[in-house]
Amino acid sequence: MSASYLELRGITKRFGGAAVLDGVDLSIREGELVTLLGPSGCGKSTLLRCIAGLTELDGGRIRLNEQEITDMSPRNREVGMVFQSYALFPNLTVAGNIEYGLRMRGIGAKERARRCEELLALIDLEPKRDDYPQQLSGGQQQRVALARSLAVQPKVLLLDEPLSALDAKIRRSLRTEIREIQKRMNMTTLFVTHDQEEALTMSDRICVMNEGRIVQDGTPETIYASPRTEFVARFIGSYNVLAREEAAKLFGDGIGAAASFALRPESVKLLPEGGGQDQEAAPANTRRIVAATVDNVHVLGNVIRYFVSAEGVRLTVDKLNDGQSPWGGAGRGAVKLALDPSQLLELEGA
Amino acid sequence: METRQAGWTHRVLMLLLMVYLLLPLLATFLYAFATEWQTTVLPQGWTLEWVGSMFEDIRFVEALWTSLYLCLISVALSLVVMLPAVFVITVYLPRWETLMKGLVVLPYAVPGVVAAVGLIRTYSSQPFDLAGTAYLLIGAYFVVILPYMYQGIRNSLLTVSAVELLNAAELLGARRVRAFVTIILPNIWPGVMVSTLLSFSVLFGEFVLTNMLVGGHIQTIQVYLYRRVGESGHLASAIAITYFLFILAISMVLMKLGKKMSGEVRG
Repeated sequence: MSASYLELRGITKRFGGAAVLDGVDLSIREGELVTLLGPSGCGKSTLLRCIAGLTELDGGRIRLNEQEITDMSPRNREVGMVFQSYALFPNLTVAGNIEYGLRMRGIGAKERARRCEELLALIDLEPKRDDYPQQLSGGQQQRVALARSLAVQPKVLLLDEPLSALDAKIRRSLRTEIREIQKRMNMTTLFVTHDQEEALTMSDRICVMNEGRIVQDGTPETIYASPRTEFVARFIGSYNVLAREEAAKLFGDGIGAAASFALRPESVKLLPEGGGQDQEAAPANTRRIVAATVDNVHVLGNVIRYFVSAEGVRLTVDKLNDGQSPWGGAGRGAVKLALDPSQLLELEGA
Repeated sequence: METRQAGWTHRVLMLLLMVYLLLPLLATFLYAFATEWQTTVLPQGWTLEWVGSMFEDIRFVEALWTSLYLCLISVALSLVVMLPAVFVITVYLPRWETLMKGLVVLPYAVPGVVAAVGLIRTYSSQPFDLAGTAYLLIGAYFVVILPYMYQGIRNSLLTVSAVELLNAAELLGARRVRAFVTIILPNIWPGVMVSTLLSFSVLFGEFVLTNMLVGGHIQTIQVYLYRRVGESGHLASAIAITYFLFILAISMVLMKLGKKMSGEVRG
């Protein structure tokens, strides 16, 4: 409890009759980057706005650095926020935007200019200091928005899907930049996204949210390798989610008692029809070989995705595109699957 | 090939539109300087006597001045009241919007005569004995331009995403009033300028309400025009043209002012 820098207890928010946030508990340590990951409407942006004080809570309390901020106005909370649409001030230059918070705090012009230069160097936009936001690209605007929030040295930084409006390549490079800046400043950060790749690459911890609740909370590795519920399994990666009967058909009756199971597509190995040796398969004594048919093949670049049917169960199988498929080419038709029972995960509830 | 054809049609249409709009103006202008122009295509002779007699009449200049300051005061009053009011309603009280939308459209629905009669009855006795005074007129003018000012300011606020800008400003430590002055005002100023201009024009040309409320006591330019129109068509044209040029000059000044304001309020 004492290790947590940002503490949320029982956060509840209702819009109309529906509970958008349903008793959310969350503890974040200083310097951590925690991602709120979930589909549209799960409440992640609302939670962020509640922490910022832009949306009033119906219930719950928020503590930041040992201080109760639940009833404070946004200006006093020392919380920084970067919005999806950047919300840069069109009537101010880049420098004017970055200095705005300092200006509001009564900091003198010379000191303001010095801090502004520091931040411009940090986001690598020094030549743009006298430009107006409309003259910048999306990625540049986002960096200015980030610098603007950091200028007043907030205790926690909130990022509300900051990269959603940008194209894939810029998104990837900005992702790394943001993470580097965050680490360098040891800035406690809460990041909201619906993009699981972003979540997996950037976070110290991921909280998967659904319908106003956090359904799983863990490191990226844990979330990816061990999804707890069917929802998380379906949301992360391209897990195969199997009902009990389907899992039994493939793995026999020795499986656990759960109602549904998850299987990673890359844990299934494809073997040519005639069987044969595949060094990557599980140890011979535990693996199971079943006959299957490849219905379709998608080449996703560096991964080849096979859509197969085995014992009436449909699966996706992913294989690294190393150009060494045993039989080469598009590969539809009859094959064998090598399944590793230790890779079959039991899922709780729904 | 296609673009060039579209260019031609476009230009011809624009030309026709300009001619349609400007022709009456041109005719009025010519008539003001003409001696006789009844049956011929162009005036039969030119004279300055109409324009001369108009400027010699002190009442004309007085009427112009009266209109100017009455309209300016009304518009300024409206700005001072409406800017903060619409801002507060749009940003902090969105639930009132439906009510406001209905309220501001009411002036459209009430004919000038009806409004005038109602106003005269209400303000003819104690404690509000304002009948025939400029105060009553300014009050009435305020209501006349209510829809234009409300819609104009509101649309400007929505266009610049005022709510989000305010959120950002608040989180950076700005108090509400300061955020409004430093961030919102500079960005909505062009839109507000347009509404102000429109409102000013509407008031300057307003006749029915004015004549009924204060026609006997105060001579605005419209009331004056109405009085002199009967005397001579030439004179009426001269007055109309002068009044039009006057409005044009004021509009240009306001435009320049608006540009200067958005330019200056920076940093």
